[in-house]
Amino acid sequence: MQKLTTRFLVTSLLLIVLVSCKSYQIEGANKVASAITNFQNLYFSNPETDYVYKAHIEVYGNDLSGVFVVKKINDSIHRVVLTTDFGNKLLDFEVSETDFKINYVVENLNKKIVINTLKKDFVLLLKANHKVDEVFENGTSIIFKSNEGNRTNFFYENSDDNQYVKLVHTIHAKEKVTFSFLPKNTTFAESIIIQHHNIKLKIELTQINN
Amino acid sequence: MRIKIFTILFLALTKIVFSQEQKMSVTEIAEFKATIEKESKTINTIKTDFIQYKHLDFLSKDIETSGKMSFKTPNLLNWQYTKPYNYSIVFKSNKIFINDQGKKSIIDAGSSKIFEKINKMIVGSVSGNMFDDKEFAISYYKTKEFYIAKLSPKTKEISKYIQQIDLYFPINDVIVSLVKLNEPSGDFTKIVFKNKILNAKIDDSVFSN
Repeated sequence: MQKLTTRFLVTSLLLIVLVSCKSYQIEGANKVASAITNFQNLYFSNPETDYVYKAHIEVYGNDLSGVFVVKKINDSIHRVVLTTDFGNKLLDFEVSETDFKINYVVENLNKKIVINTLKKDFVLLLKANHKVDEVFENGTSIIFKSNEGNRTNFFYENSDDNQYVKLVHTIHAKEKVTFSFLPKNTTFAESIIIQHHNIKLKIELTQINN
Repeated sequence: MRIKIFTILFLALTKIVFSQEQKMSVTEIAEFKATIEKESKTINTIKTDFIQYKHLDFLSKDIETSGKMSFKTPNLLNWQYTKPYNYSIVFKSNKIFINDQGKKSIIDAGSSKIFEKINKMIVGSVSGNMFDDKEFAISYYKTKEFYIAKLSPKTKEISKYIQQIDLYFPINDVIVSLVKLNEPSGDFTKIVFKNKILNAKIDDSVFSN
């Protein structure tokens, strides 16, 4: 009986691993020869601009609303702040490619899992330069594939206007987070959706005309 | 040239002196508090427009949002942002009803001490009836234009979020015209009330989302 249970458990686990390891595939894309070695994310890159968004966050059935602010404060650091609609600060981070500093986080959000998830999201959202390993095309988009150990990022640019519209972040080739951008111009996305696939978290940002 | 410089300096100095805050005397404080408390008892409803400025030191410009506020005694409150987005929050019977651009949700404020305090603070700020010595250490100042009550929370629960609340009452008016919520970091939220109407009839349906 014990043996049977163990076998069942192992089979189930194997099945889960196999199913969850289904590789991320770019639909209808062909690899193309390219000399491009760097993908540049220009969103949030203008130090003169206050990037201000209305934020709507859905997390495990709960809704959170507020105002999300990003500003490039020097060559490598972005300041990221989330406040309630009334203006109370919920979190205040300084994010760079190599460093992450917490200036403030409200007690209810001060949990390791929350901080780590947001940290990873914000680094991906703000990181300016990514090395390119492979380039694909699928008719509507040019896709830049960038490997970082067991993590791979797919950056989608529109074929017609070269605007950056999507980032798919995978771990062990499984899609974990998708960032969708609606560009206003090359340095400003007027709407951003950050959709997590392994946890119930969706962050919607809509530009506020300030 | 020298005279011109002196004139400018003198004018600047005069302006600083006149706009400077002075501590109110014990008698002045007693009079001021009595007036506010007496007048706030005659208030049944308040309708007002507001502009909210969120100041974050690192931004080049404050974030400006605006809308309308309706208040009915004892504790019905609708705080409605209309620009640059629609968002309203209604405090009613210990519940908080939120309408975020059509997405509706309800929070049971009775189950949350923090929300109860937020509710009390908002209602208190708007009606000016905030002189609760148990919750706040209060100091009083005046300028040429305003009486200013500065409230420092006594409980850690609130002081973590807000270092000090400044209530500005225009001289010759009993209703708050400006509220400034100062955070421990130095950033602040400033709310300016405009087009205030007292004791107009407000239908209860205003307090549904």
